[in-house]
Order: sequence, then structure tokens, then C-alpha cells
Amino acid sequence: MTAKTTASGVAYDVQGDRADSERRDAAMQAFVRDFARTAAIHMESCLRCGMCATACQFYVTTGDPKYTPINKLRPFEQAYHRHIGPFAPIYRLFGLKSNVSIEMLQEWEALIYDACSLCGRCTLACPMGIDISELIKEARHGMYKAGLVPDRLELMDRTTKAWGSPASPSDDFADIVRDTGEENGVPVNVDLPKADYVITVAPAELTEHTKALTDIAKILNKIGASWTYSTAGFEASNIGYINGDLDLQEKMTRKIIDNAVAVGAHTLILPECGHAYGAARWEASRWYGKKVPVRVIHMTEFLAEVVNGGKVKLKKFGETTSFHDPCQLVRRGGVKQAPRDVLKALGLELKEFEDHGELGWCCGGGGGVVSNVRADPLRFKAFEIKRKQVEDANTQHFVTACGQCRITLTLGAKHAKWDQKVESLLELVADNLED
Amino acid sequence: MKHDDTLAAELERRGVSRRAFLKFGSYIASIMALPPSSVEALAEGLAAARRQSVIWLSFQECTGCTESFTRSFAPTIENLIFDFISLDYHHTLMAVSGEAAEEARKEAMAANKGKYIVVVDGSVPIKDGGVYSAIAGVTNKQMLEDTLKDAFAVVAVGTCASFGGIPKANPNPTGAVAVSELVGGKPLINISGCPPIAEAMTGALSYLLSFGKIPELDHLGRPKAFFGETIHDRCYRRPFYERGLFADGFDDHGARQGYCLYKVGCKGPVTYNACATMKWNGGVSFPIQSGHGCLGCSEPNFWDQGGFYRPLPTPLGAMGPALAGAAVAGAALGVGAALSARRHQKTYLASLEKEKE
Amino acid sequence: MDLLAFARGPALSFSLAIFVLGVIWRLVGVLALSPWNDLSPPREGAPPNWLSAIQAVFRKMIPHRTFLTAGMFTTANGYVFHIGLAIVVLLFVPHILFIRSLFGVSWPGLPNGVVFGVGALTAASLLAALAYRLTSPVLKLISRPNDYISWLLTFVPVVTGLAAAAHVGARYETLLALHVLSICAFLIWFPFGKLMHAFLFVLSRGATGVRFGHRGAQL
Repeated sequence: MTAKTTASGVAYDVQGDRADSERRDAAMQAFVRDFARTAAIHMESCLRCGMCATACQFYVTTGDPKYTPINKLRPFEQAYHRHIGPFAPIYRLFGLKSNVSIEMLQEWEALIYDACSLCGRCTLACPMGIDISELIKEARHGMYKAGLVPDRLELMDRTTKAWGSPASPSDDFADIVRDTGEENGVPVNVDLPKADYVITVAPAELTEHTKALTDIAKILNKIGASWTYSTAGFEASNIGYINGDLDLQEKMTRKIIDNAVAVGAHTLILPECGHAYGAARWEASRWYGKKVPVRVIHMTEFLAEVVNGGKVKLKKFGETTSFHDPCQLVRRGGVKQAPRDVLKALGLELKEFEDHGELGWCCGGGGGVVSNVRADPLRFKAFEIKRKQVEDANTQHFVTACGQCRITLTLGAKHAKWDQKVESLLELVADNLED
Repeated sequence: MKHDDTLAAELERRGVSRRAFLKFGSYIASIMALPPSSVEALAEGLAAARRQSVIWLSFQECTGCTESFTRSFAPTIENLIFDFISLDYHHTLMAVSGEAAEEARKEAMAANKGKYIVVVDGSVPIKDGGVYSAIAGVTNKQMLEDTLKDAFAVVAVGTCASFGGIPKANPNPTGAVAVSELVGGKPLINISGCPPIAEAMTGALSYLLSFGKIPELDHLGRPKAFFGETIHDRCYRRPFYERGLFADGFDDHGARQGYCLYKVGCKGPVTYNACATMKWNGGVSFPIQSGHGCLGCSEPNFWDQGGFYRPLPTPLGAMGPALAGAAVAGAALGVGAALSARRHQKTYLASLEKEKE
Repeated sequence: MDLLAFARGPALSFSLAIFVLGVIWRLVGVLALSPWNDLSPPREGAPPNWLSAIQAVFRKMIPHRTFLTAGMFTTANGYVFHIGLAIVVLLFVPHILFIRSLFGVSWPGLPNGVVFGVGALTAASLLAALAYRLTSPVLKLISRPNDYISWLLTFVPVVTGLAAAAHVGARYETLLALHVLSICAFLIWFPFGKLMHAFLFVLSRGATGVRFGHRGAQL
């Protein structure tokens, strides 16, 4: 693992000691394997209109054209046209599209990882409906294969492979849950052989946000559900999904799904985490080749379910709040109404940001950006948008439903020396259960 | 009529006044768009002109051009000019026939060496040695070459002589060509049209007689004065075109309203002629005024422009089979490309290795 | 054969054949790639895929207001020349007759003066689009030769069409021939460059519409 700089002065990290040509070939192989029909249609369709730039937080806050979303796909596009597109044989025959060079991949590493939070706002701005963020996620597969990933993300990848979680060794999981239960005075279930609900967690909940572990336990206990945490499948955050490490993505997905099936759960509850939803709710069946045999829902969906179903009663705040829509949950996941229902049940008057819901601005830390320290300056710049939104809303609370967003927003506020608390929807519900 | 008479003397003898003659001069000047100052020069030139020897050669033609000139509505000065010229050889009009006729041609050529004008109507077949049309055992091609040798200028009358016309239409079995292809360096005026407008012929001849030179021609060798504008540009139905009012058939509301005939195949927009301004039969009418679109008869290959009733924007080629073939080929290429891409997805590295070798 | 006959005849036949061949080649070449079926259970109440696709095609015609502040020119100017081109191509009587000769269908046209005005506006709009592409840092960075070729081959038929209609610069049949030849060039380039978006937009928007509809997400 070394940090290097390209001839044009762009910093990049590189893993392993393979020859450049091998890396390039590995990236190309991964690139070309990814092109199914939809990706190919999207690769054919760009009009070069630049509308996607207007949607991207990194372009908007820096004004640097290189952050135009479609530009971040250049190596991927080139691989497509040279090897997959309908005219690829002609391009190759006449040398009209050169092969992607290692220098290009090196230069693009920062654009693909540091300057894209996979938030998908560009997809909504594209007049052709090109799903740019999905393509960038696919481009990461090749970057990972080439060993051109930011070191911090690669570190998490290796940690996860060794520990089963980027935050904590699997062996410690049961203890953390039990300790937290004791600490907060909430009875917890770990490693029960059978249960209706299996709860999964995100890394932050094993470190900074441990209260979340008992918050959900409290609610499940309250409704008298049969539930459990499982050491065999607790980590829902999927660094493979973020890094482009497909093997790891599959492994992490199978772990939680297989475990849920093993304990006979009807529902797998995902933590307050954005990309966990993308990986488990929408992409899990990809590894099984069929619909997964367990219902996968996000914490927010679960909260809305119990609140709307009248299973729990909540104390009412009678205060105002703003809500940060996690991109993977709302824009890319379609869960827009659920958090709003829960906020309403809490008696919180929601003052929407001007751009909210599917049009909401990313916290700036999605897609691994928050974990990638190299991207900090860029992320803090992007944070300016969110800060302005929150200040304009001027509410008593500021709530979100994703741990990564919460960390990003908290870090951003700290860096900007801005005193703003970011609350968790789960925590608000758990803390305000009527007896 | 004596050969050394001037035109003025001849006309006077026929009771045409000096005043009427000047009027004719200004008429010719105006239809040929000559400056007013030239009227006098033209009239003087014409008045002083000697009888001009003309040899009229008819090749692959239908005699329509001759009919057009001779069947004038009323005797006019321009007819008189035709009377005035010494038409030394003309199949249709000359009294003699057979060897005597051919003799007359040769005599005229010898007597007016370097001065006579050759008028040609009809195209010239050149395929198979030109055997498809011969007069007195001489092919048209040969006769034209012989006659041209000592000519002063050539006037190709009608579209057949000017551009090949109907004999040259697909598949052109006789190898018909326009006169222009055989004149070498001789000065040539094309008076195209099927048939051409008589005034265009008179005007060109008058100019030639009075100024002794060829009038200004367009790129197809036609006097700009008569072929400088399209029928469409001067058509009285043009406002309907601009307003989007068209006849869709020959007996519909639009046709009865006298709307533009563009949709029923009028070729006016690409046809250069004076029909819309000079009209026919003494200025009575012209095809569009009678409710029929222009055929484009004064243009090269007018017979092969995809049909008289097919609108101008219609592609000329037959599209169906070619497009179906292209569609099939496109589908095959698409499937091939996709299959190759899918194979590529499986064997990318292997193929890369191959590329390197 | 004169230039106009060449343009209306072999040139047009050839370019239409290339157009058909290329369009089908490109569409089939993409659609025959392996599909990626989303096997995840759809969001409750998700519309059927075909409906999501159609909704996306229409939804994407109007950008979200939030993208208009920065994307106003691109959007508004894009509308101007697309509508302009549509009017000129579809409502000018000679064009309708051309379409009728190919497909056998026709409809009433607009007066020439109106079409001419729209054509002039379209040309101006296209020039503005080019100017923007040449000056905007984002567009300068992401533009490819494809973009400039496609622009040129759209602009030239408009200009030659205007010249032919206004009858300036050369003889009418020459202008008409140049107009037809410029369309031939347009048709030949169409399937191979970004002009193809006239077909691809349905697939591109539709594909994303299916993905989003399946998830219950808004486009």
C-alpha cells in the first residue's frame, strides 16, 4: 500500500506489487464483465449536456469541471466502447478507441472514490435518465481488481475479511451487545437458535452509536416480538459493495441472509445504514439467482411499520424538525414516506429542505467517502450545502436515519465549528415509547 | 425576296412601319432584359441585318419544336423574322426532297462558309456508329459534323437537341446525346423546352442577327434572359405555396381554388424557363394556369425525374428492398456484435494476450 | 446525372440504407447483450415494469426545478432547437411529402413563412448551443469529436434548408441538392454518433425507470 502521485499531480493509492499492465488488464476484465444490457444502453446514451454537473455536490461546491459525474466514468466508457459496444469490433479494427491506460486509471481513482458518494443525484438530473451512480459503482469493480483503491477503504476491506466487520472482530460481537444491554438496562437476545426477527448492525453501532443496539431491542421487546442478534450474521454494512470488491460483497450478503434463513426469521432488519439497504434489499438476490427467502427491511421501514400499525405509542414532542434523507434509502431505495410517518407520530413538525426526498443533497460521506480520509477536504467543502440547508430550515431537531450520514454530518459540523446535533430516528422512537 | 435585302427593307415591303419595328426592338430588349440604351442599337442592328442563311437539321425529334414555331397564333414580326431568314434546309418546311434537298444544304454551306447558322432539333444517336438515325444514308452524327465544320454558330432547339431529351431517357437505346457534346468549340445556344417558347428562339436569333454574337448564357448554355428564373419564382400561384395552400389532386377543393400544384408533382421550383411570364399561344396560358404542374421539360433528364406526378421531395430511387436489406444486415451485425461482446466478457484476458503476441 | 438527381437518387437511397442498417445494428447490438434481471422483490405497489418505463420516458421530459438554476440554458435552449427541428422537419410541406413518399402517411403543414422563421430560430439556437459548448468549462471537458460532428451535421441541413427556401447563395436546384446531400450526411452519421439519442432516449430512460419503479423510488 503506497500513496503515489501521477505525472499530472493527482494523488492515488495502490495496493499490491503487480505490474501496471496486469493491473490494467484486471481492471479491463472487470469492466467488460459488468456490461449487461442496462449499463450498455446507458453507455450509449450520453449527450454530453453537462446537466449532471449541476446535480453533483462536489462540482457545485468546487466548480471544478473534473467533478462532472459523467467525466468520472471515462475509463469505464472507454472500456465499453472498445470491447462491448455494437461498434466495438470496428473501433478495435481501426484503433478508434485506445485501450485504457494505467495512468488513466490512476488519475481516475480519486474521481471514482473520493469525489463520488454514489448518491445518485446525477441520475435524476440526466435528461436521458442515465443511472450514472450505478455505473460508477460498477466502475469500482474494475478499480478494486486493479488494486487502485484509496488505502483507507482497502484497509476496511481487509479488516472485514479478517474480522467479519470493519469495526470489531466477530468474536467480540456478542459481548458488545450484552455489555450494551446491561449498560442501558435493556434485555437483549444474542445467538438465539430461532427467532422471527434478526437484527443486523452497522459499524458505527459497535463503536460510537452503541445505544442503537439497545434502542431497537427496546422496541422489539415492547411489541413482544421474537428476535435475536446473531454472531453468524450481524454486519449489514457491506464494504465490498462500496469498494467494488464483489467477492466480499457476496460473502457479506450471504452471511446475513443465510443466517436469517437459518434462524427461521421472517424478517431481517437492516440497521440505520444507507448502503446496507442497497446491498441487502436490492442486490442480495443477485447472489442467489432468485428471490431471497426472507423479508429484508430497513430500520426506518420497521419503525414506520410498528408506528403506523399502532403497535407502539409515542410521546409527542410538539417541536419542529428537519430531516436529512439518506440517499441510498430515499433516492435509490424508495423509502421516502416511512421516516416522515415516524416523525409525525413523534409529534415533530417536519420543515422540509427546499431540496428533499429524492432531490435531497447527500451528506457528502456516502459511498465510502467519509471513511476515506484522503477525501476530507473535498467532503468538508461539500458539507457547506447541507449546513446551509439545515440553517435555512432553522428547526429544533435535525434527524436522519443513517449512521454513516450521522457521522458525516457530525464530523462536518465539528470541522466547521458549528454546533449542530444530529439525531437518529431510531433513537428518538426508542426514547419516546409510551408505557 | 432577294438575298441582299436588309430586314428593314423587307419589312417595309410587307407594310411594317418603322415605328412598329422599333417597338419590336424594345420588346426583344425587354424580354431579354437588355438595358434601354440598347433598344436603338438592337433595332438598328436588326434593320441593317442581311438575310441570314440557316441550315435546320432535324435528328431524333418529333417535329414539335417546328410546330411550336410555325403554328403561331397570329402573324407577328417574330414570324416575319423567320420568314426573313434564309431557311436553306429544313425537312419539314422545304419544298424539295431527296437528293435535291441534300444538294441545297451543301450549296448553302459552300455559299455561306463561316457565316451560316446551324439550327438543330432532336438528339443525335451515337451508339453503334450512329446507325439508329440516318438521312440520305448519312448518319445524324456525320451530318452534324459535316455541317458544323463551316458554321458560324449552332442553335440547339428543344430539349432533345439541348440535353438529349426523350430519346436519351432511360434506357437510351440509341445512345442519344445532346448537340453540345458534338459541337466542339463552335458557339452554341441551347433553347430548351419541349417544345421551347417561340419568343426565346426569336429573341436569341434577333440578338444574334443584330449584335453578331451569342447572348449571355446560363451554365447549361441557355440565354439567361429566358432561362434565368424558375417557373416557381414567377408563378402566379406562388403565394399559395408560401401560405401552405395546395391541391392534393386534380379535382379537389384545392385544385378548383387554383392552389399550388407542388403536391401533385409540379417541377416549377427546379425548372428554368419563361413559361410563367411569356406564357403560350400569344400569352393566353401555360400549363400551371391550365391546372397541371410543370413537367420540367426545359431541364436535362426531365423524363427521368421519378414521374411527373411525384412531388419534388420524393426520393428518386426505389427504397423498399434496399431498406429491408439494410434492416436485415443491421440486425445481423447487431447480433454478431453482441455475441462477440458476450464472448469477450468471458475471454477478455485470453484475447488480450493474443493482442499482445 | 446532375447534382440534384444524384442527391435525390443514389445518395439518398444509400444514406437511408446506412441509416436503417446502423440504427438496427446499434439497437440490436445493445439489446442482445445479456440482460440483468432484478430478482429482488419489488416495492409493494410498484407499477409493472412497462409502466415504469413509459412513466420515466415522460417524466424525464421536464427537469426538476432544482437543476434548472444551473441548467436553465441547456434545458431551455435544448427545448428551443428540439421543438424547432421538429416543426421544421415535420410541418414543412416538402418534408411532409418526403415522409409520405417513404411511409405513406401525411398531415397538414404550416405556411412557409412560419417554418422559415422557426428554422432561423432553430439555427440561432443551435449556434448558441455550440457557443455554450465551446465556452462552458464542463462541456469543454466532456465534449468529444462526436459532439461537434453531430452538431455540424444537424446545423448544416438547417442552414442549407434555409438557404434553399430563401433562395440565396446559389441556384435553387443546387441549394436543394446541397440540402438533400447534407441530410444524407446527417442520416449516415446518425446511427454512429449521439444523434442516435432520438431512439436511445426511450431505452435509456425506460431502463432507469424500471430500476426506480421496482424500488418505489421517484425519478
